[in-house]
Order: sequence, then C-alpha cells, then structure tokens
Amino acid sequence: YPLFQRGGPQLRIFRPNFFMLAVRPGVPQPEDTVQFRVSMEMTKLDIRNYLERIYNVPVAAVRTRIQYGANNKRNHRNQRVKKPDYKVAYVQLGQGQTFQFPNLFPEKEQDAETRSFDDFRDKFMEKEEQKQEGDPRRGGVPDWFGL
Amino acid sequence: MAALGARRLLRPGRRWFSETVPGAPSPPASPLYPPVVASITARSKAAKLRRLQRFNERVHAAATVEEKLRLYGKLQRPKYTVYPQTFALNADRWYRSFTKTVLVPGMPPTAAAAKPPVAMAGASSETGRAPEPRAEAPGVAEAPGVAEAPGAAKTPEPSAGAAPYPDIGKLRSLACDALLQESFYQNKKRPFLYRDQDHTPGPFLTQLVSTLAASLSGRNPLLAASSLDLNPEVNYYWHHGKEVVVHGHRKGRVDPVRFQIDDSPHLQIRVPKQLPEVVPLESDLGDVPVIDHKPSKLPLFKKQYENKVFIGKTKVADPCCYGHTQFHLLPDKLKRERFIRERLEDQIEVVYRSNGIASLFAWTAAQAMYQGFWNEADVTRPFVSQAVVTDGKYFAFFCYQLNTLALTAETIKNNPRKNICWGTDSKPLYDVVEDGNVKGFNDEVLLQLVHFLLNRPKEL
Repeated sequence: YPLFQRGGPQLRIFRPNFFMLAVRPGVPQPEDTVQFRVSMEMTKLDIRNYLERIYNVPVAAVRTRIQYGANNKRNHRNQRVKKPDYKVAYVQLGQGQTFQFPNLFPEKEQDAETRSFDDFRDKFMEKEEQKQEGDPRRGGVPDWFGL
Repeated sequence: MAALGARRLLRPGRRWFSETVPGAPSPPASPLYPPVVASITARSKAAKLRRLQRFNERVHAAATVEEKLRLYGKLQRPKYTVYPQTFALNADRWYRSFTKTVLVPGMPPTAAAAKPPVAMAGASSETGRAPEPRAEAPGVAEAPGVAEAPGAAKTPEPSAGAAPYPDIGKLRSLACDALLQESFYQNKKRPFLYRDQDHTPGPFLTQLVSTLAASLSGRNPLLAASSLDLNPEVNYYWHHGKEVVVHGHRKGRVDPVRFQIDDSPHLQIRVPKQLPEVVPLESDLGDVPVIDHKPSKLPLFKKQYENKVFIGKTKVADPCCYGHTQFHLLPDKLKRERFIRERLEDQIEVVYRSNGIASLFAWTAAQAMYQGFWNEADVTRPFVSQAVVTDGKYFAFFCYQLNTLALTAETIKNNPRKNICWGTDSKPLYDVVEDGNVKGFNDEVLLQLVHFLLNRPKEL
C-alpha cells in the first residue's frame, strides 16, 4: 500500500473489534448517564463517534475505566482461573435526554387458568407433605425412637 | 432475699415521708449518684452521640476563633474536593444542593432599581424613589440637599467631585485605556500553549479593577479602607449529608459527607465593615435542588489533606475580615469556543453559575467562621458578598447572601433557612478591539461593575 498522507485516498479498511454493550448499572446513576461495557481498545473519542454517527445519540461527556477481572478462583488442577478484564464507559447524554435501563423480566399477568392450576398444585403438595409426617401426637419425634 | 430486704427498708421510709409532707416529697440536697448517661468508649450509637456532643461542647467552649477553627478541622478523613471552575455537566445544580443555595436569576431588586442612569437631571426624581438600603441612597439623599440649596434649576452635571453620580465617560475611558494597553499598544509575544488567559485578559482585569477602585474610593469610603488581594487563596471545609463507608477498615460505618473548596480568585477586595443584608435572614425565595445520588457521580473525587478554612491572604486578626467583591477569571479549559465546538451551548452559563455559587459560598462561609460561627452555632446575621466571573470579554455578576451554616445531617433537619445567590447571564463588555479602537462598548456592564464597587453599608 502507498504511504497515507492527509487528504489522500484511504485504500485500507480497518475492522477493529469495537463493540458496545449497554448494561444495568450496579450503583444508581444520574438520569442522563448510561453505562456500557466496551471493547478494551476503544477510547473516549471512539465511543463518542460510535454513538453519534451510527446511532445518532447526542453525547455530552464520556468517562471510562478498566475493570480488572479477579484471578483468585482455582480449577480442579489448582491453577488460577482469571475472569476477563473489561472496560466500562459512563456516557452522559446531551440535549437534556435521560435514560433508564428497562426491566427485561417483568412479572407476567397470570390468567384464571394458570392461577387455579397453581392453587391446585400447592394444595396437592401440602397434602403429600402432611402424609409424609408422622403421628402429630408424637410432637415431631421420629417413629423409630422408642423402646 | 434482697427484694424482701429492700421492701423492709422501703416501708419505714415511705411512712416517714408521709408523716412530714403529705403529697410533695422533698428533693435531696445533692444527687446521690452521678447522672446515668451513655458510655463514651462503647461501640454503640448512643456512645457515638455522646462523643459528638462532647466534641461540640469542646468547640463551643474554645476561647479564641483560631482554637475553634483548629478543633473544627482537626480530624482528617477523605473528602470531596469541589472545584468552582469545573467542566462537569450541570455542576451548578449539584453545587446548589451541596450548599443549600437558591439561585435567583437577575440582580437583587434594590440593586437593579438603584442603578442611576448617567445623565439624569433633577433630584426630584430621586426623592420620589423609595429609600433603599443600597449604595446610592446616602449619596442620593445628599444630592437633593446639595442641589436644591444653591438652586433647583441647576442640573447636576456628571463631573468628578460633588456630583452624586460617577462620571461614566471618565470610567469608560479608563476601561478602554486598560483594554487597549493590554491588547493593542503593548508589544507581547505570542501566548504560550493554553496560557491565553494569563496573557491578555488577566492583566486587563487587574488593571481595570485597580484603576476603577482607586477612582471610586473617593465616593465610597469603604473602598478607601479596603484591601485588594492579588491571587488570594480561599478555602472552606464543611459536612453535608450522610453516607456509608464502602471500602477499608471503617467499612459499614455511617459518616458525614465531607467537602472542601480550594479556590483562588484572580482578585479580591476585603473590607473592614460588612455589606448590608439584601433580604431578611429567614426569607424563602425558591427551592434547593435535591439530588439523591452520591457526589462521585458528578464526577467528584475524594482526597485526604488539610481541612483548611481561609479567607485569603490573612488570618483571623486582620481588621479587613469581611468580603466585598471577588473577581474570577475562567481558565482556557472552559473557553466559550470549546463548548460551542462540542455543541454544549447550555453548559456555558452553567460554568459561570457554578463558579459564582461555589466561590461565594466558600468565601462567605469562611468569613462567618472567622467571626466564630459554625454549623452548631448558626449565623445570627446574614453575610453578603459579591463576585464577577469573566473570561476577559463576557462578564457575569453574582451576589450571595449566606443565611445558614448548618448543613450537617443533624442540624439541617429543623433549619428552614436557605442561602441565596443572585446571578446574571454573561454579557460582553465590548465586541472587538481593532486598530486602537474598542468597538461596541457595553455601558450596562460597566455600570453594574461600578455599582458593585460602590456598594457599602447604610451608615457610611
């Protein structure tokens, strides 16, 4: 490839491993802050361009940190097993936008059929457990205990 | 057995009491046992409360203010460093919640009304105006007497000396001279990288303020007795709110959240007498924003170092212990062009406001601590100071009234008082400097600056 100079044609295509994963923050964050796990090679500028150009999200500020994955667990051969490191990015949205991480597993509304089935199942299990227990007059003492 | 014995002892005692005074038992001359209070050294909440009470009593009983300050900041723990000049987004909302400040846009109503128009003739209009506890009132009250005595037809021409109004033309020429000298006449080399503010706007501001203060000190005796500090250091340390310690050997304990401001304004005027209050101590002019998140989300970082409370250049014994005006110069990092380039136009004003609120809170609170007030002994009179935040061309004016120092978790519960900050948006002083001329000079900004400098208590 010829040497690249500014303004010249870009003949090489780089395909870096740039990914961004939106995660639920472990500690409560302000309303305009979104938390991402990003590739270790991405910089703050890369993150800003990624969001602004691909997804049209206005970005006001980006802060990053690298989370060290612990190396304390041991496998069956007593070798240390490392959890991978990853980079976390806190992105503050511009133009007054806010973001709340959605609840991905909401409680489903149960219809009458499933509710009655659950009630029947609970009553059946209760009866079975009662059958297993011994004589209530013995006060929970097992039946092999005695003379 | 012991109970039977006690009952046998009680019976004769009860009969003796009923014989002497039916109804009212006589109190003993001195208590037989010491008062039953919580332990001091136990690991319990009651013991912690007792230790805090003993600390508060020690500070209350301190003989001098230096001793009080020494005890107040004795214990060093990690604390959040609050920077008045910060690029953090929406920092002024966070700072208002840390300092319990209400932001009122515009200048206080007495200041806005008392600004005299330049070539206004006639003392009659001044007598019609309601008496205001502001700078021009003593001058205005004298003017009807002076002007009417020789002859009411004589319109007071703006001239230095006996006239009530400062000569705006003369002051404008002073400002333009300072500006041109720094930016046009003086031969300076190119500024070093990221040192633009020290190159031209810094010296211009110093020159402007010193010449204006000197020329207005004839009108304002407080300025004549003032002290102008160059690049002073203002520090304040306070507690606000509670948090649980996360890491370390103190994990799990409930601690107050500690803050420290270390600020260095470009210029500062300290005076021996305090500025008058703008509104009464208990007034409520708005709401304080409540932010539930930890301060580290702003972002704000913790550090442990000396807990300093300092007013700038002097310790407690100085006669000029009250503040008048501060002048702040914004650094290169917070230039307007940078915000516009990053499409963050709404953050430009936030920078001015956060600087005004944080710096003025630190200064007024340090002044209050120098008079012996602290969060257990709240201020009995409001402390007022003013500030001008500029980046060389755009000026924003702030006036702060400190009504309360009690911001800790216990003292803030029953405290209805709030601190108040009046602030304007940033306005340009001039448009451009070309060929030895200053184009588009804005007189309102200069008038507001002059009015700030002329501010003085009612007695003077």
